[in-house]
Amino acid sequence: MRVVVAEDIMLTREGIVRMLQDAGIDVVAQAEDAEALLREVRRTQPDVAVVDIRMPPTHTDEGLVAAQTIRADHPEIGVLVLSQYVEPGYAIRLIQDHPERVGYLLKERVFDIATVVDALRRIADGETVIDPTIVARLLGRRRRVDPLAGLTDREREVLGLVAEGMSNRAIAARLFVTERTVEAHVTQILLKLGLAESPDQHRRVLAVLTFLRA
Amino acid sequence: MDTRAGGCHNHGVPRVFSSWARLARLAAAPIGLAVAVGALLIAAGPGMFTTYAGRSGLAAGLTVAAGLALVLAGLLASLTSRSGPAGDLAVIAGIVWFAPVWVGWQVGPPLVRSLGMLVAGLVFPLLFYLVLAFPGGRPPSAVTRALAWAVCLEAALVAVGLALFRDPYLDPSCWADCTDNVFLVRSLPALARAVTATDRWFTVAAAMTLLAVCAWRLLASRGRARAVLMPIALPAIVFAAAAGAHVIALSQMPLEDPGNPAFQLIFDVQNAAVILLAAGLAAYAVMTVAHRRGVARIVAGLGEAPAPGSVESALARALGDPELRVAYWLPDARRYADAQGRPVAEPAAAPGRLVTVLMQQHRRVAVVSHAAAFPELEREFGAAIRLGLENERLQAEILFQLGEVRASRARIVQAGDAERRRLERNLHDGAQQRMLALSYDIRLAHASAETESDDQARLLLEQALADLQAGLGELRELAHGIYPAILTEAGLGPALATLADSASIPVELDDAVQERYPELIETAAYFLVTEAIEDAAGRGAGYAAVAVSHQDGRLTVTIEDDGQDRSASMTGIADRVGALGGILTVEPTRLGVQIPCG
Repeated sequence: MRVVVAEDIMLTREGIVRMLQDAGIDVVAQAEDAEALLREVRRTQPDVAVVDIRMPPTHTDEGLVAAQTIRADHPEIGVLVLSQYVEPGYAIRLIQDHPERVGYLLKERVFDIATVVDALRRIADGETVIDPTIVARLLGRRRRVDPLAGLTDREREVLGLVAEGMSNRAIAARLFVTERTVEAHVTQILLKLGLAESPDQHRRVLAVLTFLRA
Repeated sequence: MDTRAGGCHNHGVPRVFSSWARLARLAAAPIGLAVAVGALLIAAGPGMFTTYAGRSGLAAGLTVAAGLALVLAGLLASLTSRSGPAGDLAVIAGIVWFAPVWVGWQVGPPLVRSLGMLVAGLVFPLLFYLVLAFPGGRPPSAVTRALAWAVCLEAALVAVGLALFRDPYLDPSCWADCTDNVFLVRSLPALARAVTATDRWFTVAAAMTLLAVCAWRLLASRGRARAVLMPIALPAIVFAAAAGAHVIALSQMPLEDPGNPAFQLIFDVQNAAVILLAAGLAAYAVMTVAHRRGVARIVAGLGEAPAPGSVESALARALGDPELRVAYWLPDARRYADAQGRPVAEPAAAPGRLVTVLMQQHRRVAVVSHAAAFPELEREFGAAIRLGLENERLQAEILFQLGEVRASRARIVQAGDAERRRLERNLHDGAQQRMLALSYDIRLAHASAETESDDQARLLLEQALADLQAGLGELRELAHGIYPAILTEAGLGPALATLADSASIPVELDDAVQERYPELIETAAYFLVTEAIEDAAGRGAGYAAVAVSHQDGRLTVTIEDDGQDRSASMTGIADRVGALGGILTVEPTRLGVQIPCG
């Protein structure tokens, strides 16, 4: 797999590159800011771009904006955004227009090689990846009237994995059940929450996240 | 800069002189009337051929009307105005106006006719001075003052010169005044001719100057100033033109025969112009009194605690000058401020606009920028507005200081916010990156411990990694608490949504806030909501409802909860809101702020 890494702090960037190379991933270019990132992406046409959300000049959401640009200009190139912020709003913004081939992971997982490589694989396969911490925060959000009150514990668990962007098959593997069982759970959950069943698995991530945020 | 200063207690006229002046003014009306009646009698009889009034009823009527109009208008002005001798000059001009008729009293005593000759030439300089001085008590600039004095001096010299050295009998062109000159010291016909000729051309030049000055003033002024100037300047232009025409006619026809139609026409026009001029003076005097009463009434009606700017609007309304501005002098800050305490530039005079410094006990209180139509603003209205002005100045000073304090509070809060943002950034760019690097190293060590099957080291490293990850999470929350980056990047609405995601009690947001506001205001509103929610949670609330709206230039934020009644006073929030000039309302389970946001 070929990736471009964009991160403005050298120490971290070099760490990420070394780690990815150790894992057998081909880092074809590095960038320090959004402009260089877009240039390198155009030039090298990688499978996935790994992008830090904070880059010069304002150090707020440059990476997010660049990610959206890449997704709009190169539909076949995936983007993994590494973020300091547990901001469901940013995650929703990222997947809003192009919900497939994108991921939003918290920065502190950057050296968790298994997680990062798994995320890169899923993104390259066209899936969506949302950090479990973000999903947990949305599921744990306190409400006066809990819209999830009607869900069983297992359904809640499945809903969380759906929100993380997992496919039915991946959920089945994670929970040691059949894919058919997962399908039934999902149908039941969507019915209980009043969400339309979407044939497109990426759209359902957005639908669920938006529902949990409302 | 053309500024006029005066004390509120000093009206320019010494007391002793003032009482004599009052007596003289009392006598002026009967004297004027007597002179006029005498002139009519002369014109009807002995002066039938030597005076214009004797030639036609129209001329007689115009002469009497013009002279008496000047006397009356002058009396009106000197009795009502507090500014200078203009009124008295008009009274004198009115009485002198009849001199040519008395000169033509064929059978009259030589002394009377000689006196008439002496003073007849004074009408022109008096009116010249009067017009240039209008609407004030004296000509407004050094140039016009010099002009006025030059014309007066010339007329006096000519009058004395002719009285001493001209024998009318030896003047081939004498007509009305072919009589004895009782003041004659020595007859010098050549000198008398030369003086007469010089005087004529000087008068033409002076008349043209008067005409030009009046025309220029009319063109240069606008609005209220022009409206006030018009009734004086227009008749003055006609008067000056007639005076010039008179001299030119004399150069063609040295014998001034009142029966000549050309001379008659010039005479009638000049009289009509003087009547209008006198009417204009009277109207201005009446208007000044009305304005003064208007200002006094409005200022008196302001009550004990008028709203800031009341004096300015009262003056502007009473004088019909909407552009009038009052700037108060703040001696401590050494600068000017308006009634609201907002700093303003020192007012400067402009075309058609004057600047008057209002003093009190030798202290500068305020500066008024106003239409040039009221050059004696201080004398005319100073007394009426004195109290209101001093009150407003104090108010302006306090408001100004309040503004300064508020600005400095805002700067302190701003500096605090900037420091928060800097800290947040440093935590991400510094500590977080170090901890990430550390986690990388630990993972490497963990991997090698695994290969070497060193279980003890592996377990220790796993524990260290878990602790480090928890530390990273805490660091992230700490940074977010210090200053949420999303507030800078996406604004109040998204930042509050994130706050609701992780709050310890349910937070209901109305989704009305998507607009962006100035950073200081967004930050204040955000921290207000965080503190209010923490406070609500502390009082056992089951939820908090946050509403944000933007109306009439104010951002309104309210937080309502169902907890127990609050006892804390929320001073932290109050300071922040106060620094922005906002209002905080603290109720038992409800907090409300209104922040002005333009």
